[in-house]
Amino acid sequence: MTGSCLSVAFDAIPRVTHMLTKEMIQLIYVNKLKKDFKKTIKEPGLKGSLKSFVKPKTEIITAVNEIDFHVPKGEILGFIGPNGAGKSTVIKMLTGILTPTSGSCEINGKVPYKNRKSYVREIGVVFGQRTQLWWDLALRETYTVLKEIYEVDDKSFKERMAFLNEVLELDEFITSPVRTLSLGQRMRADIAASLLHSPKVLFLDEPTIGLDVVVKDNIRKAVKTINENEQTTVILTTHDLQDVENLCDRIVMIDKGSKIFDGEIAELKRKFGQSREMKFVPADFSALDKLDYEGEFHLKDAVEVENDGHNVSVRFDSDRISVEKMLNYTLSKLHVKDINVSDADIEEIIKGIYRSEVKVDA
Amino acid sequence: MRRIFKIYKPFTHAGVMLAAQYRVNFIFFILGDVLMCFINYFLWKAVFSSGGAQTFMGFSETDMVSYIFISFLTSTLAYSDGSYAVGEEIKDGSIAMRMIKPIRFDLAFLFQELGERTMSISIVFLPLMVGVEIFRFVVTGAVQFNIFRFLLYLLSLVLAYLINFYVNVCYGYSAFVLKNLWGSNLLKNIIIGFLSGATIPLAFLPPVLSAVLNFLPFASLTYTPVMIYIGMYGPVQILTSFGLQIVWLIFFIFLQQVIWNACVKRLSVQGG
Amino acid sequence: MRIFKKLHRAFKLHRIFIKQDLKRLMEYKIDFMTGAVGLLLAQGVNIFFISIIFSQIPALDGWTFEQILFIYGFALLPKAIDHLFTDNLWSVAYFIIRKGDFDKYLTRPVSTLFAVTVEKFQVDAFGELFVGILLLGISVPSVSLNVSVLNVFLFIISMLFATLIYTGIKLITASISFWTKKSGHITYMFYMVNEFSKYPTTIYNKVVGAIVTYIIPFAFTAFFPASYFVAGGNPWYNIGGTVIAGTVLMIAGILVWNKGVNAYESAGS
Repeated sequence: MTGSCLSVAFDAIPRVTHMLTKEMIQLIYVNKLKKDFKKTIKEPGLKGSLKSFVKPKTEIITAVNEIDFHVPKGEILGFIGPNGAGKSTVIKMLTGILTPTSGSCEINGKVPYKNRKSYVREIGVVFGQRTQLWWDLALRETYTVLKEIYEVDDKSFKERMAFLNEVLELDEFITSPVRTLSLGQRMRADIAASLLHSPKVLFLDEPTIGLDVVVKDNIRKAVKTINENEQTTVILTTHDLQDVENLCDRIVMIDKGSKIFDGEIAELKRKFGQSREMKFVPADFSALDKLDYEGEFHLKDAVEVENDGHNVSVRFDSDRISVEKMLNYTLSKLHVKDINVSDADIEEIIKGIYRSEVKVDA
Repeated sequence: MRRIFKIYKPFTHAGVMLAAQYRVNFIFFILGDVLMCFINYFLWKAVFSSGGAQTFMGFSETDMVSYIFISFLTSTLAYSDGSYAVGEEIKDGSIAMRMIKPIRFDLAFLFQELGERTMSISIVFLPLMVGVEIFRFVVTGAVQFNIFRFLLYLLSLVLAYLINFYVNVCYGYSAFVLKNLWGSNLLKNIIIGFLSGATIPLAFLPPVLSAVLNFLPFASLTYTPVMIYIGMYGPVQILTSFGLQIVWLIFFIFLQQVIWNACVKRLSVQGG
Repeated sequence: MRIFKKLHRAFKLHRIFIKQDLKRLMEYKIDFMTGAVGLLLAQGVNIFFISIIFSQIPALDGWTFEQILFIYGFALLPKAIDHLFTDNLWSVAYFIIRKGDFDKYLTRPVSTLFAVTVEKFQVDAFGELFVGILLLGISVPSVSLNVSVLNVFLFIISMLFATLIYTGIKLITASISFWTKKSGHITYMFYMVNEFSKYPTTIYNKVVGAIVTYIIPFAFTAFFPASYFVAGGNPWYNIGGTVIAGTVLMIAGILVWNKGVNAYESAGS
């Protein structure tokens, strides 16, 4: 995996953090965490399936490859990466659902997969794609069951419900069976369920998936409130970069099982924010041959050209080549029907990193 | 006829693929069910060794053992999932889609199920048949297999399956009135299982009841083919029971058509 | 004290779920009632079948009609109790693991086995329970049964451990799905062996007898303990065997389950 050498260069945690006593600041420790899955290869046909029945052929797939990161108490950490990057696998290891192949993680002094029962008392988990509520029970009953399971006493339960009700507005549907709730209501109910026992850490796996803008906003506000009021540490995975920008203090980005960025959003922007994109529609595509950015600017690997047959996009670093020079040179070489230069926002940056198009140099 | 096969061949193909996918599961399920046959086998062996008589209500020990396995074979092969398939389509409303397609609803199901049946035929048929024939040979000391009777059995089995299929499709329409089919399906399967002779030969029942059941469609589903196979029926009985099977098959095809037409009318009036 | 608190919590949770299951049942009243009639009828058909046999012969391999009914009724009880409380293990074997729905049980601070089983209270089992008690009631007056404190105690013990045999076998076979994703068909195949327990093991040949006694010991769920009550015998073997088989299978089941939980791979992200 090439990702692991990238992560060395990319590691944005200042060295000084490591020198402070770990018990004092960090709540979550993840060390060289790794997870392999065994996958059986199915051969086609009757003969093949008989063969795989007797002696299955397997191959090992590394879903998460030696990831390290730390999270201090009270932080909201955005955990992002493309589909299949291994985000969910990491979350599942941190919540005690999966046992790591090697490496370790420690949260609030506990090892999730070893002290599972006592550990999960201190965390709340929401998986956006599936509910933890009981499908046929009225929502109110669900909370009664959870109260017993988490052994919350009557007094705290009452106070807690009042608080959650205020933040998440559960009243309007608390007597309905869970199966009748809308997606947005269900998500609010799920978040409330995960917070009933006042966890120290809250894991949110795509909490805004499939929701409309208004509901998304409500949920973000609720998460923020809880984080501020109770110093709850939040680990958030999402595909919605609005979530990240609004909520997260820091992000950890992974791709193909390895960490490729770890730092503040501001730092990500500072580091890669100079990347610009110039898009144009040439009047004559054959004239494109005249463009020679490397020759003109005497820079290697600073410019990337992509031509999809309709648009041509040129990505470049405005620190090294000014926008003015770029435009002047391009327009001097050919006629364009349309042209514009845009600032790469965080979404663009991440997209770029996903496609490993942002060049990393230490 | 040729045209029908051409139109519905894709359904059969889908059925075969489906069955192939669940092959391993199917084998385990069948093994579980075959255990029941062996329990009955041992039970009847104990009955014959305890009773002292050569026959039990007209059945010799060999007849009885053959009956156990061949009736299992027959009810497995003549099994139909039609009521479930129809019931589900009615519940999720996809039956409305069937009406706008230029194919017959019943035939599409039928051809798919025939495709699925290839699995049970290839796994259950030969081992059970050969097992029964070896058993009969060892006990009686002579080959009991009769190709002519076997062919008649096959014919009767096909009729039994078709009747069962149409009974089930008709039954599946009850999903229009009932919210859930689990309970009534269970009840139906138990009643049919018993009255069709899949559990015990109808000859063991009180004579009046047995005569009524023989005439009603129940016997046509399992009892008739099994009795033909093990040679308990003479030529006249074979002919009459074939006649009855055909009459009942026509009856249920007709009934299915009537219900279907009523449904189409109702759905087009209500607008789905 | 701690254990009492734990038990109290377990019962409380059970109560909540039982209440909910009954509520849900009321929504599907007609469906449930017809199903219940069907299940009762299935048992009725079997008993009718046995009575036809006994109309022609005085005893089956030395066992009278009433003794057979006692064994048959006895067999239904532990099966029903297991059915009532651990039916959700079937769902584990069929789809809970395959769909990745097992995740949620792992994020709760109770044992996963408890969290899974408490969710379902299978009222279908009341049919078997009813027929079982009925058959025992009918047959007890006609079999030479010695009602004593010791025998009542042994009866309760054998019921308890016979139930554990059922649960243990379901647990072991359902746990296979932690590795294979789906094992319902395997559970089914092993579970069906329980049908052998309805009749005296003496009617089977040696191989089958040995299998249902020592390998998949369903014979200890009914025939061995029941025959001690109706025909006498060595309680150390007949009921001791049930206790041993129940304990061994249950412990093995829990061990395999726990190993499976560690091997659980969830469903792809």
